[in-house]
Amino acid sequence: MHEQTSDLVVGLLVLLLGLVGLVMASGALDDAMYVFGLSLLGFAVVFDLGLVKRYFDRIDAAKAGSHV
Amino acid sequence: MSDAVMGAAMPAARPVSRAAVTYNMDVVRKFTIAAMFWAVVAFLVGVVIAAQLAFPIMNLGLEWTAFGRLRPVHTSAAIFAFGGSALFATSFYIVQRTCHARLFGGEALHNFIFWGYQFFIVMAALSYVMGFSQGQEYAEPEWHLDIFLTIIWVAYGVAFIGTLFLRQEPHIYVANWFFMAFIITVAVLHLGNNVALPASFFEAKSYSVYSGVQNALVQWWYGHNAVGFFLTAAFLGMMYYFIPKQAGRPVYSYRLSVVHFWSLIFMYIWAGPHHLHYTALPDWAQTLGMVFSIILWMPSWGGMINGLMTLSGAWDKLRTDPGLRFSVTAVGFYGMSTFEGPMMSIKEVNGLAHYTDWVVGHVHSGALGWVAFISFGAIYYLVPILWKRAGLYSNRLVAWHYWIATLGIVLYITSMWVAGIMQGLMWRAYDKLGFLQYSFAESVNAMHPYYVIRMLGGVMFLLGALMMVFNLIMTVRSASTAVQPARETAVAGA
Ligand code: HEM
Ligand code: HEM
Repeated sequence: MHEQTSDLVVGLLVLLLGLVGLVMASGALDDAMYVFGLSLLGFAVVFDLGLVKRYFDRIDAAKAGSHV
Repeated sequence: MSDAVMGAAMPAARPVSRAAVTYNMDVVRKFTIAAMFWAVVAFLVGVVIAAQLAFPIMNLGLEWTAFGRLRPVHTSAAIFAFGGSALFATSFYIVQRTCHARLFGGEALHNFIFWGYQFFIVMAALSYVMGFSQGQEYAEPEWHLDIFLTIIWVAYGVAFIGTLFLRQEPHIYVANWFFMAFIITVAVLHLGNNVALPASFFEAKSYSVYSGVQNALVQWWYGHNAVGFFLTAAFLGMMYYFIPKQAGRPVYSYRLSVVHFWSLIFMYIWAGPHHLHYTALPDWAQTLGMVFSIILWMPSWGGMINGLMTLSGAWDKLRTDPGLRFSVTAVGFYGMSTFEGPMMSIKEVNGLAHYTDWVVGHVHSGALGWVAFISFGAIYYLVPILWKRAGLYSNRLVAWHYWIATLGIVLYITSMWVAGIMQGLMWRAYDKLGFLQYSFAESVNAMHPYYVIRMLGGVMFLLGALMMVFNLIMTVRSASTAVQPARETAVAGA
């Protein structure tokens, strides 16, 4: 339960950061902002996919445990 | 204070009846790996910029590799990436062990802190290389990176302080007090110094709300307390946990550690103006900074004595445990740089030292001797525990690392003392007609041999770190360090 709340809160925060990154990159007036914006978006996507993966890993592990 | 009471105050073995806690050591392992990775990067870039000062051709004629851009890469990689990662690792380890509680906030939060912090470092370094900077030392990242770091830092505070609330111990061990001061003060410093108006939401350019001498004062209030709370208080937290652990002795005086804590954090915050002697800053503010810096000598040495005396009765371990040798030498260097610092803050002495390489020498006696060595000691202790190995792959290699790195520091700081004092004296030398005796270019020229010696010292320090990385990888990988199952050991012993 605790882990799920953490996943949700952090996942949403990172999603928001990714969107901000996208907006920043879209209107960037210099290279630093363009690179930062896109990288932030990339970071958010990879991080949130990682959360999804770990969520299913946990379910799989629980299933494997219950079969034993 | 009796040993029994002090023993209770130090992190001791848990009574068997305690409910088992599954600590999150995964995030500690990740930060430990990051610390070693960034150590090599920081030292390597340090060697490169040292070479650039000795041989300007090393700037390669490219703007990306120019000294001005690589210098903040070095300082940020050393302080924030290497030092910061080592602090995250050790603070998360210590807070869990001494509170007997799992790290607060769930794995997602811990991973966010780890990856977010690494992302910040890479983005900051990239922005310097691309030529973007606020132009304020140790606070170079532009506004958008500052905001991102604030989010990470708040998450760090939540995880750390949340764990303290979960503790199953009545007592908050002193190391945690130091880490808490570090977390809270760095947040205040970072927010205070980086108040700036962005030119646009889409531009990596901002203007500080402070101007002129106010800007300088706020910057050095930040800068000095970055030293005081990042490079000192937090690493003292490391000292107060790992030295007793390595020595197998309780802290020499728990009471002294509490006095040390409160006096240190009260004094440090006032000392910033010693970076602005003989400037437009009002005289009284300069004197205030100087006086507090001199007073600061006492709590600093109180802490040093406490660290060293913890070894009473266990000095022999220095012969057999080279990891402990790093930690103890670190405390020695801490004592040295906290004597040198107060001395350099005296206005007359600063008149000679300021703008010279003496300051750079002072910085590195603290940075290499204290910050890096105390981290090396802690990491050598931690890695076998974190990866569940029987011990380090090679203690001999640790001893080699120790000697080569120590020699590197000696070369670095002695060359900078000579260079710095020479610069100071050359700049103030007059001939009998009252003209300056040396042009500035002559003083630059005179530095060449010392810059080469400093570079060699840096190469030795880097070599030592590479040996450490090899040793740690082998510790994790080699079959020789695997923990033997009890039955096999019994058979082997039979
Ligand atoms: C192989 C090791 C290292 C080498 C060769 C090295 C070299 C250098 C050089 C050449 C400079 C520029 C000095 C100047 O501008 O005149 C410098 C600055 C600096 N380094 Fe290092 N460094 C090393 C390790 C470290 C470490 C481990 C830290 C911190 C934990 C550190 C922190 C700093 C700081 C704070 C400055 C700025 C000093 C100032 O502004 O006075 N360095 N370093
Ligand atoms: C009681 C303790 C200390 C005092 C009073 C002190 C004082 C000073 C003084 C007077 C300066 C020279 C300012 C100038 O002329 O520009 C200085 C520079 C510096 N010190 Fe210390 N110091 C202390 C401990 C330390 C320690 C332990 C470290 C590192 C771990 C450290 C890191 C630095 C750095 C990074 C600078 C260079 C700032 C810059 O100009 O970029 N100091 N310190």
